[in-house]
Amino acid sequence: MHRAFRWTFPLACAWLALAGSDLANGQPAGRQYGTAEIQGGYRLYASQCALCHGQNGNTVQGVDLPRQQFKTVSTDDDIKNRITNGNATAGMPPFKFEPAELDSIVAYIRSGFDLSGTPFKVGDAGKGKALFDGKGGCTSCHRANGQGALTAPDLSDIGSLRQPAAIQRSLLEPTKGMVPMNRPVRIVTKDGRTIRGRRLNEDTFTVQLIDDGEHLVSLMKSDLREYELGTTSNMPSFMGKLSDDELSDLLAYLISLRG
Amino acid sequence: MRYTIALFSSLLLAAPMAADAQVPAQRILNANAEPQNWLTYGGSYQSQRFSTLKQITPENVKNLEQKWVLQDQVFGAWESNPLVVDGIMYVTERPNDVIALDAKTGKVFWLYRYTNSPDARVCCGANNRGVAMLGNTLYMGTLDAHLVAIDSRNGKPLWTVPVGDPKTGYSITMAPLAVKDKIIVGMGGGEYGIRGFIAAYDAATGKQAWRFNTIPGPGEPGHETWNEEDWMTGGASAWVTGSYDPQLNTIYWGIGNPGPDWNPNQRHGDNLYSDSVVALDADTGKLKWHFQFSPNDPYDYDSVQVPVLADMDWQGRPTKVMMWGNRNGFFYVLDRTSGKFLLGQPFVKVNWASGIDNNGRPMITPQPAGSPTYPGVQGGTNWYPPSYSPSTGYFYLSAWENYAAIFRPEEQQYVAGRNFSGGGFTILAPTPGAPTIGVGRRGPINNWTSEVGSGATIAIDPHTGKRVWSFPQYDVTDAGMLTTASDILFTGGREGYFYALDAKTGKELWKASLGGSIVNAPVTYQIDGKQYLTTISGHTLVTFALRE
Repeated sequence: MHRAFRWTFPLACAWLALAGSDLANGQPAGRQYGTAEIQGGYRLYASQCALCHGQNGNTVQGVDLPRQQFKTVSTDDDIKNRITNGNATAGMPPFKFEPAELDSIVAYIRSGFDLSGTPFKVGDAGKGKALFDGKGGCTSCHRANGQGALTAPDLSDIGSLRQPAAIQRSLLEPTKGMVPMNRPVRIVTKDGRTIRGRRLNEDTFTVQLIDDGEHLVSLMKSDLREYELGTTSNMPSFMGKLSDDELSDLLAYLISLRG
Repeated sequence: MRYTIALFSSLLLAAPMAADAQVPAQRILNANAEPQNWLTYGGSYQSQRFSTLKQITPENVKNLEQKWVLQDQVFGAWESNPLVVDGIMYVTERPNDVIALDAKTGKVFWLYRYTNSPDARVCCGANNRGVAMLGNTLYMGTLDAHLVAIDSRNGKPLWTVPVGDPKTGYSITMAPLAVKDKIIVGMGGGEYGIRGFIAAYDAATGKQAWRFNTIPGPGEPGHETWNEEDWMTGGASAWVTGSYDPQLNTIYWGIGNPGPDWNPNQRHGDNLYSDSVVALDADTGKLKWHFQFSPNDPYDYDSVQVPVLADMDWQGRPTKVMMWGNRNGFFYVLDRTSGKFLLGQPFVKVNWASGIDNNGRPMITPQPAGSPTYPGVQGGTNWYPPSYSPSTGYFYLSAWENYAAIFRPEEQQYVAGRNFSGGGFTILAPTPGAPTIGVGRRGPINNWTSEVGSGATIAIDPHTGKRVWSFPQYDVTDAGMLTTASDILFTGGREGYFYALDAKTGKELWKASLGGSIVNAPVTYQIDGKQYLTTISGHTLVTFALRE
């Protein structure tokens, strides 16, 4: 073991299966697709596409299918042509699909990989913004469109990154919605400094973070005495603190943030 | 300096008349006697990736410095394994380019570009892992399943022969193996419902000499391990280079997953010779023995790892063994003369089997539907070439730790040329929607964290199957191994670090941060008395040597 610091990680939560349905529900320019098409597309995607593109559609560099981030295509027809013809330089083979099958794959991509349709209510984004900036206190940690603090993740594109149901879960049960990368970090260096912050990147020998004073910090792990990853989110739950209508307004605002 | 151009219009430079073959088969047989070169994919027919060069030592390794860099012109993982022959390096890049360059300076002599058919289809990237050399000829398999012979002196193609049909998913990504007067290749395409095979071609003419079907046909032994017509689309590809024992005149080759990958209910039986090693007569391709690691595999545990051959004392008897760190999470030792099972021990967390019985068969413990299976779909290790050091007596490989997948078998109809995977999988993550480990590294930021699995370089004592030491990495690693007689292990990982470790203890001796994933093994060679070390990281091939 070449790690000199003490690694504390009191995580005891059950390992949960990755549901793969945690992204934006937006359907950009194109037609409205039905649930059956989306589910059919999911089955084709899982068997034909996921090996390279990944179950979350983001394992090819520069491509993030549920976020509608592509390298060369834009319209539904572009996507279908790309699937049919492949992309020899990028190593994507051509696929043989029936037109209806192509439609269903596009439907799945355009749905943002959302099969579940967890119920949520979308209110008024304008009122939500007021909550975000005011009563909700969100900007004391988060930032959106250049306003707010930097200590918690910037939410300017959260509507593209996450599905509404997942955003709602984060508002009500922040710890359950927290991805490992966002676990709060507490570090004590060998020279006695204590640093609290949020990780931006990590590898075998180093960690990069933004500290609670909003400074970018890069540390060698060999210089650390303690390195603790918290399992509880620093974010307070809004359960019982906002009315249902207020929650739906805040959600509407967050969904509207698309970077 | 004065630069003079003289015209010799009347003095034609005499072309060599029937020049002597530069690399006769005899040279490859004795590859261990010329450590200044790297003559085959695995460094020698034993595939130990152990070099007797020892100019670079644990004491001076900190004085390594970069000598030159070759920048890849193509996007994507660069998995090629360079050959170095008499000062010249031959390396491939995507999809099927071959580059000849001065191994001392990195300056390029020639570049050959093969144009693949639009029918070419590969499941997992337009990879090529290198060439074989015999005589004055280089041999490369192509994504559209052809074998190309190229003149090593000018990069011109000599002949091209079709090996498989790319329309139905056949491809070649592995480096061929030259044995005597034949060139041996195996077929990729295990995700397309191919019927796999290994074939040998006459090195001079490109005429097929023999073909071994990795799925036995009607009337052949082993055919009974398939139900009805399932054998016709049963996969069993062979996409990584094998090894050769000249004394036994036997080649050893690892065979890939059965198809469809994740639905064993669509192919009842053991599905021979998927997930097996086959021992073939090098002259005829006839099967001598086989050993199956993962019968009726539902997890895509390809056994395409490189067979590592060594002669050692085994429980008091000198024995010709084969060592194998398998994707299924178990480390094996076999007697390579008979195929007899000698040892099988897990080297990572495994829950699909409780162990290996006395005959070498796994005692399976399938997990309930929806529950995680360890190791996950990429396995405890994969095709990353391992190393065996006769000096330390240890076997080294890249391992994926605490990594699991939830497998989801689904019925799927075979359609020629289509992906035939029979379901899918989910990588286990602690939070729904959390980023997970990809097939390759995505960019310079790790936001999936080691909570979904991490990597390690590990040393195994082949006599016990137990870990001697581990060198943990935060991200997983696809790097191969190189060991030297000075007891240094060179390897890397997805994070872009290139490491020199003490092969006896695993202690870090030196590292360089190269910034791109290292997805094959380093090689070493010597020119003008200087030992060089080459690795590929991301889109750069970097060569190091000791500071003057």
